[in-house]
Amino acid sequence: MMNKWDIPGSVEKPTVNKDTETLRSDLLTLNMGPQHPATHGVLRVEIKTDSEVVAAAIPHLGYLHRCMEKHCENLDYRGIIPFVDRLDYLASMSMEWTYVAAVEKMLGTEVPRRAELLRIMTVELQRIASHLMAFGTYALDLGAFTPFLYAFDEREKILRLFEEVSGARLLYNYIWIGGVWNDWDDAQLTRVSEFLDAFEPETRKYHTLVSTNKIFIERTANVGVVSVQDCLDYGATGPVLRGSGFKWDLRKNQPYGLYSEFDFDVQVGDGEHGVVGDCWNRYIVRMREVGESIKIIRQVLEKLEPGSIMGKVPKIIKLPKGEVYMRQECPRGELGIHLISEGTDSKEPYRLKVKSPCFTHTSMLPLMAPGQMVADFVATIGSIDIVLGEVDR
Amino acid sequence: MSYVVPHNSVKQYFGALFDAVRTTVVGMWITFRYVWGVKTVSIEYPEVREVLPERARMRLFNDAQNCISCTQCAMACPVDCIYIASEKMPEGSEVKKTSNGQSIRLHLTQFTIDTALCCYCGLCTTVCPTECLTHSHDYEFAQYTVDGMKYDYLAPDVRAWRDRIVKT
Amino acid sequence: MLNELAAKINAAVAGANAQVLQAEDAKCESSILVEGTQIHAVCAFLKSSGSMNVLQAISGVDYVEHLEVVYLFAKFDPAAPAQLLLKVRTTDRVNGNFDTISDLFPAANFQERECYDMLGVRFNNHPDHRRILCPDDWQGYPLRKDYVTQKNYNGMEVFPEGKMNMADREFIVRQDMIKKAQEAAAGKVQ
Repeated sequence: MMNKWDIPGSVEKPTVNKDTETLRSDLLTLNMGPQHPATHGVLRVEIKTDSEVVAAAIPHLGYLHRCMEKHCENLDYRGIIPFVDRLDYLASMSMEWTYVAAVEKMLGTEVPRRAELLRIMTVELQRIASHLMAFGTYALDLGAFTPFLYAFDEREKILRLFEEVSGARLLYNYIWIGGVWNDWDDAQLTRVSEFLDAFEPETRKYHTLVSTNKIFIERTANVGVVSVQDCLDYGATGPVLRGSGFKWDLRKNQPYGLYSEFDFDVQVGDGEHGVVGDCWNRYIVRMREVGESIKIIRQVLEKLEPGSIMGKVPKIIKLPKGEVYMRQECPRGELGIHLISEGTDSKEPYRLKVKSPCFTHTSMLPLMAPGQMVADFVATIGSIDIVLGEVDR
Repeated sequence: MSYVVPHNSVKQYFGALFDAVRTTVVGMWITFRYVWGVKTVSIEYPEVREVLPERARMRLFNDAQNCISCTQCAMACPVDCIYIASEKMPEGSEVKKTSNGQSIRLHLTQFTIDTALCCYCGLCTTVCPTECLTHSHDYEFAQYTVDGMKYDYLAPDVRAWRDRIVKT
Repeated sequence: MLNELAAKINAAVAGANAQVLQAEDAKCESSILVEGTQIHAVCAFLKSSGSMNVLQAISGVDYVEHLEVVYLFAKFDPAAPAQLLLKVRTTDRVNGNFDTISDLFPAANFQERECYDMLGVRFNNHPDHRRILCPDDWQGYPLRKDYVTQKNYNGMEVFPEGKMNMADREFIVRQDMIKKAQEAAAGKVQ
């Protein structure tokens, strides 16, 4: 059964007046197809262009749809954690913590202090790794091939740290219901602190190499501007919202875990280059957030004390009848997990809905595209930092 | 928006030009230092292989002589890739024990793991009571057919890997 | 807090019948249930009164007697952050529909499309009402509890017999127990 509604954005073909017009012009429909080096995954955007200027952009999603929400209705709560990992596979720790926090809220478990601090440390390390990936691939989209490998070298060190503690480089299954799986020993914690000491001068190097480069500024400043009201209307969160100047970070405004004990700033786009709400400001918010994450990890390393890493959790987890909507600040925005449980006679959730930040940001593409050139559109897609695993679930 | 070279004054034009050249040269100086100043991080695989950390979760290995057929691993697996069949010990057979003292009451007739389905999450290894199911460090096990990815841990050639893979 | 909000909604929108669904367990969240026909007016009130300024997601749930659509709202206000679960229900599984709120909250555009795709609930006056995650000509609504995958899609067989590996999937735990049960059943028949 094909849909009978027209694709929006199509324009009536202009009628030809043979006396006055000799050349008929039309909009060219291009497919920035599922296979494209700059769409950060299998995203298909149908662009209608008038010579080089984009008139409409219509995203078509679903190329990575794996029916995760339906699968979760048949899995027990511990078995869902590997599935939640695979949502935003570049920020798995944040995904795991959001889901586990939702389950722990309904279960009422108390998580030991050491486990909470280790969770914060791993999630902030994951935030650095994710922003390095965003930085590297964004520069690569715009034609700068070198920062990509510099960022990936540093990211490799973080992934090596994660492999030593959890066993995997990208899909960790590390944050468990009630605590964390494995403990960090002193040698590993020393390596974290050595990594931070070596990494901080590298961030200054990225700033000199990319952020203040005239070519990069000309490609990203004043491109893809969104106002704060548009961001709130479309539900944008994370660096996209902060890049437009609105100071909103769930770690400060609605603190979860032990974030209220930590001292860090919320970085907001300030228009140092370009105008607030453009691609450059969204990018610089991410780069500055890396500095904030380094601060948080250093504070965690000072606060860590020996203790247990897993609280008391029943062997078979059954949740009371009800629902919970848990939101946390993930590197790409606010991830929301809406978990509905039928009652204590079922080991599986009744419904697990994932509110994905990248899905909401993809809906902003038809807003940002008209009037840009195709090259600017590539810069815009890169600046909202989408991961298709999260968009399509 | 298309870039227009600022041309409201000579100073603006040459200022923009100078900025572009200056920032490019600064960037090139950073990358130029990598020619001699930085040690290469690439390792020449396959002649050199990286040593994986102890907890690395690569291919699973099941030490069949220690398995008590509790099927906890099959129930914990989120993708149902472990296939186990067992039956009661035949009458009058000797009582066997695992390496940590538990007695084996069931005779294991099938223990197959489909490593093509396995998501390497490690949930099965944590629930195994005798710790016979572990993650090895083997990541080079590509096969030509999908059926070849099903490992039967009772087959004699697979059992022989025990000396190589099991640590204790 | 939810009771005050429900009272305000009832005062502002006639026929909304907002009632608070109190969670049975204190750890879970309570929500507000409103009449499906008034959802546009209720959301307009929430936006104009400043109670909620961001629509985060629209989630659909299939409780077998009725279909429920949950609107997840949030208030991004540093002084008083808040979140709200607003529910509407329909018992019509074939033609259940609600008015779209994408003119008030443009975030609803993609979210309502996903709700339609997964649950089969239609949204009137939606600017682009088609499936978003499944292919456009897919049949059935996957997140319904009675959903069965179609056998053929555009001439291709969904779940082909030769690739499903059914022989391995049913793992047999105690073959002697199964043999015993079969013999007992055969004995009973005889």
